[in-house]
Amino acid sequence: MPSGALVFQTVVLGVLLGGLYALLAAGLTLYFGVMRVVMIAHSAFLILAAYLAWYFQLATGLDPLLSLPITVPVFFAVGVAMQRLLLARLQPATRTMMSVLLTFAIAVVIEGALGSLFTGTQHRIQLGYSGASLELLGARVAVVKLLAFAMAAAAMLALYVVMTRSRFGQALRATIQHPEAAKLVGIPTDRVVGYGFGLGLATAAIGGTALALDSTIYPSLHWRWIGPLMAIIVVGGLGSVVGTAIAAMALGMVMSLLQIPLGTTWAQTGFYLALFATLAIRPQGFFGGRLAKRF
Amino acid sequence: MRRGAIVRLAVIAIGAGLVLSFPAAAGDPYMLTVGITIVNYAVLATAWNFVGGFIGYISLGHSALSGLGAYGTALLIAAGLPSFVALFAAAALVALLAVPIGAAALRVRGASFVIVSIALVLILLLVFQSWASLTGGSRGLVVPRPFPGLHRAEHHLVFFFLFAALLAGTLLAWWLIDRSRFGLGLKAIREDEDKSQSLGIPTFAFKLIVFVVSAAFTALGGGLYALWFGDLDPVFQFSVLTGSTMVLMALLGGVRHLFGPLLGAVVVGAALESFKLAYGDTPLHLVATGLLLGGVVMFMPEGVIPALSSLWRRRFGPQEASIREVTAAALLDRARHEPAERVVQEADRTGGGR
Repeated sequence: MPSGALVFQTVVLGVLLGGLYALLAAGLTLYFGVMRVVMIAHSAFLILAAYLAWYFQLATGLDPLLSLPITVPVFFAVGVAMQRLLLARLQPATRTMMSVLLTFAIAVVIEGALGSLFTGTQHRIQLGYSGASLELLGARVAVVKLLAFAMAAAAMLALYVVMTRSRFGQALRATIQHPEAAKLVGIPTDRVVGYGFGLGLATAAIGGTALALDSTIYPSLHWRWIGPLMAIIVVGGLGSVVGTAIAAMALGMVMSLLQIPLGTTWAQTGFYLALFATLAIRPQGFFGGRLAKRF
Repeated sequence: MRRGAIVRLAVIAIGAGLVLSFPAAAGDPYMLTVGITIVNYAVLATAWNFVGGFIGYISLGHSALSGLGAYGTALLIAAGLPSFVALFAAAALVALLAVPIGAAALRVRGASFVIVSIALVLILLLVFQSWASLTGGSRGLVVPRPFPGLHRAEHHLVFFFLFAALLAGTLLAWWLIDRSRFGLGLKAIREDEDKSQSLGIPTFAFKLIVFVVSAAFTALGGGLYALWFGDLDPVFQFSVLTGSTMVLMALLGGVRHLFGPLLGAVVVGAALESFKLAYGDTPLHLVATGLLLGGVVMFMPEGVIPALSSLWRRRFGPQEASIREVTAAALLDRARHEPAERVVQEADRTGGGR
């Protein structure tokens, strides 16, 4: 039986990891909401952002967090461009399937490009506070992990405020709920969908920078992320940001706890088991609304 | 015999002749191995097309099935079975395993199905890497050669013909299903699953059967690869990239055509091999694969064969009068963009309208 301190420590780490998962899954939910598109390349953009943060630190010597003012707008623009130039031009009838293939192709291109530019070897950011940690009720938590969680939480909060308080957020939610009706009341849905896509990709920029702070990065790392993220959005049920966030936290914590008896690798399979179990029991996900049924 | 049938037979005879004379023409063993790789790709892409072509479910996870076939063959040989008995036993086991996998995956449509198929590959990769006591993990698993007496060149030659025979069998099975009532039901599912269900097609059973058939042929392709190559590594066997190459080949050639995946395999396989020769095993081949896949999805989602044949028809042939395969979705899509009158005319011509 593992000691109580170890379990508590694991729970804390699980929550911190779950925060990052929740942010990234929110991005995936956004893409799906506005366009019924499953974006396989999301985690590839996550790793791309992590590489940019790493390279920024290497080239300038500044804190990688300072790369955010550059990467977030750039990723937003790339997201808008991707939606307008690529995904919107697919035939509507086969869009769901073909968009998966298209975004898969984008993910592979990003992986290959990172591999050729920076080689396949592993990289890690070295910071003054990399080794620092805090004592929290007997649990030792690395400062960078807390920082990553804080960034994810802040980004989620910002996303929430934008979605619920701003006029644009209102238009975005209207477009998600009923595109035709939104168009009828005068919302420029095409543009709104593009911006929604940009917002989703911006979450990958923030998540990637947070990821770069405390983990070793390599080009094929995105495969490690896409599986869990897919599992989370299926378990959470698509179309519900809150449901996805709950699923992300719960799965992140359970997987952390499973690592104690099983080790890191076998604990990973838990995500996929959760995915298959969800499909067997409740294919529409546990928090999914009517959107999920069309998924 | 109709003229079309004669032409078709002639094309098949020429194609078979080309394939069978390839080893003599190839000359050096390297070219022969390239040929084997391409025929292997063609087997896998055609096996993929049982699912992708007939019911329109795009699986990025077929490398899970070929990998299971490869490892199954290797492990059964290690357990004492003769090589080719092991090959067929492994394929049968994979087909059996495909029943629960398919039952879970085929419950969901569209993007969920793709997610499940990717998850399948990722979970198997994890398991086969971690369970090193059985699978050898990342150190690899050596498969004993089925014909220990043969020289290297002879080994390649024998396997070229074995792969060609498997390809012929796979194509034959696809053709038979394509002509059958069962195949008609499958294609109805592809066009509109809800409607075909309401017409009394047992959609779930049909989907499951064709998935199992696809799994069996994919496993045979993977198992034969194991016997030929003699060394298995989870990273290459359970790779989403391999699965996506199958999709790319089938899409490029055209999923509605018997020889579409074969054509795609020749084009993509030759491109990948020459790329490897020119640039070595760099990550650049990922970029090339990705760009190719993206280009096909954006500009030629129906494949090369329909694109070329419509060009040919516009140029030379008479305007088509018989029933043509148009997806219901494409017709609907056109109806939104074109004046209604023309679409009705078109539907009359293709036999779809009243």
